[in-house]
Amino acid sequence: MSAAQIRFFTLSRREVNRFLKIKKQTVGAPLLETFLYISVFGAALGSRIDQLHGIDYVVFVIPGLIMMAWAINAFSNNSSSILQQKFQGAIQDQLSSPASPLELLLAFSLGGFMRGLVVAVLTFTAASFLVDLPVEHILVLIPGLFLVGFFFAQLGVLIGVRAEQFDDVAMAQTFVLQPLIFLGGVFYSAALLPEPFETLTHFNPVYYMIALVRYGFLGYAEANVALSLLFLTLATAALFAVNLRLFSRGYKLRA
Amino acid sequence: MKRYPTGVEALRCVSLDVEVGEFFGLLGPNGAGKSTLIHCATGLAQPTAGTIRIFGHDAIVDYGDARQAVGLAPQEPNLDWFLTVEETLDYHAGYFGMPKRERRARAAELLETFSLVEKRNERTRTLSGGMKRRLILARALMHRPRLLILDEPTAGVDIELRLELWHYVKRINQEGTTILLTTHYLEEAEQLCDKIAFINQGEIVAQGSSAELSAKYGVANLEDAYLALVGRKELSRSRAEVEELAS
Repeated sequence: MSAAQIRFFTLSRREVNRFLKIKKQTVGAPLLETFLYISVFGAALGSRIDQLHGIDYVVFVIPGLIMMAWAINAFSNNSSSILQQKFQGAIQDQLSSPASPLELLLAFSLGGFMRGLVVAVLTFTAASFLVDLPVEHILVLIPGLFLVGFFFAQLGVLIGVRAEQFDDVAMAQTFVLQPLIFLGGVFYSAALLPEPFETLTHFNPVYYMIALVRYGFLGYAEANVALSLLFLTLATAALFAVNLRLFSRGYKLRA
Repeated sequence: MKRYPTGVEALRCVSLDVEVGEFFGLLGPNGAGKSTLIHCATGLAQPTAGTIRIFGHDAIVDYGDARQAVGLAPQEPNLDWFLTVEETLDYHAGYFGMPKRERRARAAELLETFSLVEKRNERTRTLSGGMKRRLILARALMHRPRLLILDEPTAGVDIELRLELWHYVKRINQEGTTILLTTHYLEEAEQLCDKIAFINQGEIVAQGSSAELSAKYGVANLEDAYLALVGRKELSRSRAEVEELAS
């Protein structure tokens, strides 16, 4: 391995090891949370709702739950990790190394991305034992989920870099991210909503992400798949470009 | 030069040369700009204007090579709470591109040198203040830097550890490592440094050997030269002794 490869591998390893060292909190808790969602919305309420668009309700909500798990974990991991390191000053060790802004950004992003991936894969595996979960369009599902994971990993980095106290991270997660995800249609189909809520949902970017992942699993498309994929790719690229610029300028990282 | 967004000028027209192999001391009161200067050299702060060259590499344009040559032991213990002592050394060397086998050997050597072997598997947050200081110095040395920057390395440590650290840094300086030291302990600067610069309000106001600085300020020792610099000559202990004897 070259020196640059060793450097990038070590920077990424630090981020992945951080969440693995506290896996009860970073992997166990989100898994339990997702399982509780499946139990409450799928098994308990689902028995009353029966089917949505010809699909069992519990099966209908699982793709959204998998996406939500990846998104929230990618976001919260990166925002917390960066803010903690800023507080401790430990981030200075990476910042005073020869690592480039791009290497630093990718490594910080990868931690949350991997944590989201672990939780999503475990959720998928557990759900597959509980219900018959199809995978209809894997070529849409994999890039869709990866883009969602990378988008929220970037968003976590952005909030972590900007944040000056833990309240800033909690604010973004509780008052922006979770409402957007919940109102994006994880637990219901937007088509069932009365106006103006159905139309309003179409302005929520998470709606298209859920639609994409649901199409990948179930083959049911609530929004235009190609456009959703294009929109998500562009949004992720734009966010990455913003973060790279901030890292290059040393915004709130270097005095 | 370094001007913060608040308008504070932490460094103004600083011009400083540290020769290869030198043990260089940077002295000045709190807020004089010592840490800012160090941070500009290591990428933790970005100078507003001017250039910093480290062994010929521009610290901004050619930051990779410049930072590769520097080991920084900062003033505040900035250890990663999630890592053990040994991981702290291993990760640091990894950030500097050192291969695994070399990292292991170097970490073993430094754990031994700094009496950290028994603590190798403990998380850094459980260490005592003295142990943290040792670890910070060991971490700075992991990638075998040609320039070691010590930002108040003995602040708050006991006499035994201070003497141990002095002994060690003297040795690595003799082995060829250039050292830039900031300290408030004038005795430390006198004992260790070949050359000393006084920094005050973001400017280098004088530099030379301890004897040259004393001569420049027309005083008996480095402490009095320092007090002359900060305008507190009345605190001079040597003058008080002379006055006491005269009376």
